[in-house]
Amino acid sequence: MKRFFKSRELLIMLLLAVLIIITGLFNKNVYKFDSISEIFNASLTLTLISLGEMFVILTRGIDVSVGATAGLAAVILGTTLNLGWPIGWAILAAIITGTLAGMVNAFGITSMRVPPIIMTLGTLGIYRGLMRIITGGSWIENLPQSIKEPNRWDILHVPFFVWMTLIVIAITAYITLKARPARYFYAVGDNEEGAYLLGIPVKLTQFAAYTLAGFFAALAAIVFTSQIGFVSMNAADGFELKAIAANVLGGVSLTGGIGTPLGATIGALFMTAVHSMLIFLGIPGIWDNAFAGIILLTVVYIDYRVRTTIELQQRQSRIRGESGAVGGES
Amino acid sequence: MNLKHVFRSWEFALFVLLVAEIAVLGVINPTFLNIENLLYSTLDFSHILFAALPLTMVIITAGIDISGVSIMGLTSITLGLVWVAGVNIFVAMAIAILIGLLAGLFNGFFVANTDVNPLVITLGTLFMFAGLAQGMPALLDLLGFKAYGSGGLAAYQYEGITGLPDSFIHLTDGSLWIIPYPFIAILIFAAILSLLLHKTRFGRALYLIGVNPKATIYSGVPIKKVLIGAYLLSALGAVLAGITLTSYFTSARADLGGDALLPIITTVVLGGADILGGSGTILGTLLAGLLLGFLRQGLLAIGVTNDLIQVVTGALLILAMATKRLAAVYGEFRLNRRTLSSKERG
Repeated sequence: MKRFFKSRELLIMLLLAVLIIITGLFNKNVYKFDSISEIFNASLTLTLISLGEMFVILTRGIDVSVGATAGLAAVILGTTLNLGWPIGWAILAAIITGTLAGMVNAFGITSMRVPPIIMTLGTLGIYRGLMRIITGGSWIENLPQSIKEPNRWDILHVPFFVWMTLIVIAITAYITLKARPARYFYAVGDNEEGAYLLGIPVKLTQFAAYTLAGFFAALAAIVFTSQIGFVSMNAADGFELKAIAANVLGGVSLTGGIGTPLGATIGALFMTAVHSMLIFLGIPGIWDNAFAGIILLTVVYIDYRVRTTIELQQRQSRIRGESGAVGGES
Repeated sequence: MNLKHVFRSWEFALFVLLVAEIAVLGVINPTFLNIENLLYSTLDFSHILFAALPLTMVIITAGIDISGVSIMGLTSITLGLVWVAGVNIFVAMAIAILIGLLAGLFNGFFVANTDVNPLVITLGTLFMFAGLAQGMPALLDLLGFKAYGSGGLAAYQYEGITGLPDSFIHLTDGSLWIIPYPFIAILIFAAILSLLLHKTRFGRALYLIGVNPKATIYSGVPIKKVLIGAYLLSALGAVLAGITLTSYFTSARADLGGDALLPIITTVVLGGADILGGSGTILGTLLAGLLLGFLRQGLLAIGVTNDLIQVVTGALLILAMATKRLAAVYGEFRLNRRTLSSKERG
């Protein structure tokens, strides 16, 4: 519990609260239940993609193809639905597409030894290209009502998809904290060679991380297709960078081995909240990117300062502690 | 450097590939072999070369700079806005270059003074510079600058600023004999960077930082200055790319170059720079840029769609990298075998 209070997750949660409270001073509508619920609803796509990206970053990798993977899965979902497939089969097809796309990345990185950023940059181009080839470059519209329907469901005035995502987050959080194989992600990211010497299946763990990233991207694709009701060719464009930013904000370290699903979720929520708060403040949407960038840089800078200060204190106390022990002996 | 060394180098392989590619595309479509067309087509990807050449130096230090694509837009919109305000186009260009270099200085300063991953820093500045570029017209309105149009300067954020003077358009329009100006500038830029990288202390320090940053500090290399220099050069490349694009499209826009990130990094990596730092050459990047650029032009000319080209480029990047990696593994394996067998004999 003590660790939680020192964590990045708490820092971001506080920042998020401050952001919402300050915005509320200017626009009372922020405090309404519906507004808060709407922020959650708008953050779902990014949250799901960020969760998948988290596994990859934990293993010290990076996946810049997750946005394209989500786009490809959405195209498969839309195309199969318009071909008259039942919704269950179409969703299954989308999930298989995303997972397979992740497995292609995983194969290239673990078996062909292509560095992660190169492999996923390559597949980013390939998946985006495939999207347009499948659809011929046009948007997928006139989707059947069956896919738009879940977006209207709500339980206790909270949209169905928010509940679904919360359950996914809870499962992911429980597994990463409690299940032994999930700790492999941390071990591999922290010290790959050490993990290998301990007998941890390093390649298999990395393979699983990229596959999970693809799987989560497909989940995100289903959510945003249902929410928007059509699939544009720019679907989830740029989400790879936003997902990385969300993870970094939430304390998932790009040097591997550090981070939690909660952190990734809060990071994604924060990125979305910045957008929503700017709307509430009446600031035009063109400033979104600037604010996102400034906040990301500020947070990593604060983190850097805090980290170096703590390290310095620890080193000094160790020096003092050692000299004290020597004094006691003499 | 002996001849055998040259033949086994990655740059030589790229050169052979480039010649083979032009020959194959030429057989399919003979008009492609026209040297004038070939040189003229470099205009379509000169911004990628401008940005990729100095990015090589950043990647050699085991860093990365993905904010270049935003600096392109920032340069372009600054140039346009200053010109709209009534300043001479070339003075506007100088101001735009200055703004772009300041952006690079920010990157370099942040990277050199913290231990934060350069990918995170330049991801942050990628968003920040893009946001600044998009918001700049509206910001100037807020600050009370008077525009000619009724909608204020903010109107420019969607339309782009057109009607730039001919003297500026001529920068990419003109050519020396049959060589377009931008391509000449690229060759000069590449030559200068190559000299910097291979013939100066600064260049050697870049490689050293990429291999072992701690050893670099203990060797007395002013590591912060060297890093700032590398990111400044990368920004300079992006600035030149932004100006080239503005002149080529005859329009200053905040979102110019936004989709160039993938081809730029593909070019540097295909050129032989190791993303983990410590290796790479300017010549390699130049050859890889031409290889990819001509491939795109050639495929477009024989009627391949843009989407398929994207797929082919991605696959090519992965294949090139996988071949290189597996060849290295095989080489190590052979070396081990040879050492083992010679021991047995001895």
